[in-house]
Amino acid sequence: MEYLQHNLERLHPRWPALAMAIRESAGNVLTVTPSREGAPSAMYQGQWVHSAYDPRTEARSWAEQQVGEWKRGELGVILGVGLLYHIEALAQVIPHDSRLVVVVPNLCVLKDALGVRPLGPWLDTLTWVTGTAQEMAEQLASHATPLRFFTYGAAARVHAEEHQRLEASLRRIVAAQAGGRLHVAVVGPIYGGSLPIARYAVRALGELGHRVTYVDHSVHHASYQAFENYRDERSRLTVQSRFADVLSLSTMATIAEDPPDLVLAIAQAPLSLAVLQHLQKKKFLTAMWFVENFRHLTYWQQLAAGYEYWFVIQQAECMDALKRAGATQVHYLPMAADPVVHHPITLTGDEQQAYGADVSFVGAGYANRRRLLPQWLTKEWSFKLWGNEWDGATDLSGVLQRNGARIDTDTCMKVFNATTINLNLHSVSGMGLDAHPDFVNPRTFELAACGAFQLVDERSLLSELFTPEEMVCFRSPDEVPSLIRTWLKDSGGRRAYAEAAQRRVLREHTYRHRMQDLLAAVGLHQPDRIGSILRGERSATELQRRTDSATELSPLLSRFPPGQRVELKDLAADIRARAPGRELNREELLVLMLDSYRGETRDLL
Amino acid sequence: MTPRVLVIQLARLGDLVQTIPAITAMKMSHPDWQIDLLCPRQLSALGRLVPGISEVVPWDGAAWHRRAANAEEEVRAEHLAEAGAGIRAISEDLYDRACILNQHPRAFLAGALLARESVGAVSGKPLNHKLSPWAEYIRRVAISKRSHHVHLADAFCGMCGLSPPNDIRPIHLPPTVFPTDLEPIGQSDGDWIGLLVGAGDQERLVPIGVWERLIVECLSIRPASRVVLIGDQHEQERAHRIQGALSPLLLGRVWDTTGRFSLVQLANLLARCRVVVGTDTGPLHLAAAVGTRVIGWYFARARVHETGPYGPNHWVWQAETKEMDRMAAIKPTQWPIAETIALLGDAAAASVEDWSLWRSYRDDLGAYYVESDHEPIEPCERAQIWRQLQPLSVA
Repeated sequence: MEYLQHNLERLHPRWPALAMAIRESAGNVLTVTPSREGAPSAMYQGQWVHSAYDPRTEARSWAEQQVGEWKRGELGVILGVGLLYHIEALAQVIPHDSRLVVVVPNLCVLKDALGVRPLGPWLDTLTWVTGTAQEMAEQLASHATPLRFFTYGAAARVHAEEHQRLEASLRRIVAAQAGGRLHVAVVGPIYGGSLPIARYAVRALGELGHRVTYVDHSVHHASYQAFENYRDERSRLTVQSRFADVLSLSTMATIAEDPPDLVLAIAQAPLSLAVLQHLQKKKFLTAMWFVENFRHLTYWQQLAAGYEYWFVIQQAECMDALKRAGATQVHYLPMAADPVVHHPITLTGDEQQAYGADVSFVGAGYANRRRLLPQWLTKEWSFKLWGNEWDGATDLSGVLQRNGARIDTDTCMKVFNATTINLNLHSVSGMGLDAHPDFVNPRTFELAACGAFQLVDERSLLSELFTPEEMVCFRSPDEVPSLIRTWLKDSGGRRAYAEAAQRRVLREHTYRHRMQDLLAAVGLHQPDRIGSILRGERSATELQRRTDSATELSPLLSRFPPGQRVELKDLAADIRARAPGRELNREELLVLMLDSYRGETRDLL
Repeated sequence: MTPRVLVIQLARLGDLVQTIPAITAMKMSHPDWQIDLLCPRQLSALGRLVPGISEVVPWDGAAWHRRAANAEEEVRAEHLAEAGAGIRAISEDLYDRACILNQHPRAFLAGALLARESVGAVSGKPLNHKLSPWAEYIRRVAISKRSHHVHLADAFCGMCGLSPPNDIRPIHLPPTVFPTDLEPIGQSDGDWIGLLVGAGDQERLVPIGVWERLIVECLSIRPASRVVLIGDQHEQERAHRIQGALSPLLLGRVWDTTGRFSLVQLANLLARCRVVVGTDTGPLHLAAAVGTRVIGWYFARARVHETGPYGPNHWVWQAETKEMDRMAAIKPTQWPIAETIALLGDAAAASVEDWSLWRSYRDDLGAYYVESDHEPIEPCERAQIWRQLQPLSVA
């Protein structure tokens, strides 16, 4: 009690409201226990928050490791409160003019910390952010300086969920503020469901003003498919695997020719672990958007450590599994729609006739769909089934369209628009509904973007993306016929749901939003590189503003349009372009010399 | 005023050693010139041994890498200022002339930053340069894999507008202290044979078992001989493995020096050997420069006509390929072990399948290699090249 009083008095002059709120909070979240060395340590739910032996030494060693990361002008943000040993240690090793902010999601923890030991003058140097995740994110963003996060793992664990929410809020704020132009290389797959996603991502990044190099491996699909003809499976797998290795190498060659700021691979992109490790060694930043169900496709296990950033469509279980497999940064990034492709269309009478039905389903013939769809056929409504891989599904042959041929995106859009009720049943290899119904498939967003009404199987992550007023779900196969009956009769209700879902998609769930979010996440973790570019700090104007006009750099920068991003390589390219027929000055030669060494760092092949 | 000339040689050990004839010729032609040498920092101690050099200015590639990495993160005025300071640290005043001996943009830029005019491998402006006739010649030979009639070291002389010097003397080595246990090397009678256990390039590594056989046969055929294992710290493990394969009786005659010598000490060590055998061209060139006979094994992409050690009486075993594609790296399946031991005793070497044997000579037009069963070539062919490329150099 004595310590708490003393520490609150120290806090009060600068943070009166915080001191008051702490005094009124309950505390008692941490179990304070003496360490072997004598100083108090603490536990949370049976696990140590600081060292059981010597919390001070452990905190010092953590702080020394962190401080090397810190760049001048960055604001240090500490995640993890604990008993503040680590914050004290970091405050003592940071440069004199640096600032630290402590994120306090739960005042009770801070009350516990203030009550166990007297705190020194270092406490006066700290800034505290409290409140909801959104409020804390806004407070952090208001500092208008690059943020450098320092996570003290054992203490941060206490607030893991709040930190995730904080990061999501911060990503949204940063994404909205982003104005700089990145160069992103998007590496697509050879074929499959993630191929259109790669194209949507490319378009979205372009629309956001970034420069995109699309490494399109779909041009190799015919060759890859030709290897299917080998009778011996071992031969086929060997040849296809070697072919994927060649494509992996060709990706590296493409990247080497025009080095991007970020290599963004979309699921199934042919990038081997060896190539990814080589890219990392050469300081390329790599990210993977794994738009797959991690339980079905498990190749992430081999690649986990190869990418610096993983973006996944599932949450806790998937993220934990990836981290256990060696991934360092894993973020949730759900699917989306592309309004350029997925939008309402006006159909002719013939088209309405051809593509329309009371109920439709578009998709491949997975086992659960083969089992469930026949249960929903009745004479009460017309039913059309579109898509491929339905061979042998005799009880569906009467409704299967085009003999089960693969249908293209245009046809898909016409079906969505022409259908009264679109069924959206997530695929699983089992027989019923998905036993782990977590992620939300792209179809959900695409149907919504088309302004089409859908019935979708319940997903645990759906409620974060759509409200019950925007999406109608079913929890068991038995509910579906009655839902169809109800909604076939209620055209006004269907329209209201469809329009609400469409508005939501356009507001929050397009690939533009996803790409903004993805880049903001990378930018938050790379404040000095990607973050700096996104903040527009590499533009000619901004560089010029920070350059004394008397320096030699100023005339070189003045040659670029104000908003254009300018880097060393751009300066060198401009000098080379203007070199013929004139004498280069000393500064120009120095830029070229620096650039000659820059080139070597990216000498990939 | 004394003209100040900067010789720019930013390549590796072998190229630096092969620059010695050019500097010698320059000093002989222009005794009043102040000739400085710009070379990689890690070679600067060796550069100071080159006769005729007034000052060695080290080029700090690592510092440039750091500067470039910083500027790549965000280009700022201080990065340019720091780069400028790096250049000023080399010389406050411009040199009158830079003799650039590398065909690399960095060397051209260094010349433009440090001197009023540049000669050598290029002429013209750094971004608008033209290769000199000698640089073109070297490039053509390297690409076509044809025989060099003019040695690279002599071509360096040509690049500087000079003829090869009449006399090439071994470089003078300052007294160096060896680790006590290695001090006896070369101090007693008998054959001290240096063996370079490693190679600058992975594909030029001789299998451990081959070196082991060479040592065993050499020590048994030549009872008074001793073998000195030579290499840097990265080659210590190879040296250990070689010794691990030898019988304890032989180990007393094998001296492992790998990873224990600085560059200047290495030069002294090579000078204490009667012959040096190996594939690593850098130390082979250095051995030749300190006056020690060399027997090189050239395979993979090494070609005697491009990188044969300079001076007379050196031998090079050249792996030959029957394949049409001479650009491919040659991987020998058999090795000239007994034949190399024969050369150690100055005996005639038998021929070895898939290998040719070359011997070096030197005359007024420099050094050249001739296949062992051929007569030394007439100077007229080389004189013709000199006439074409540098009309004033040949009478």
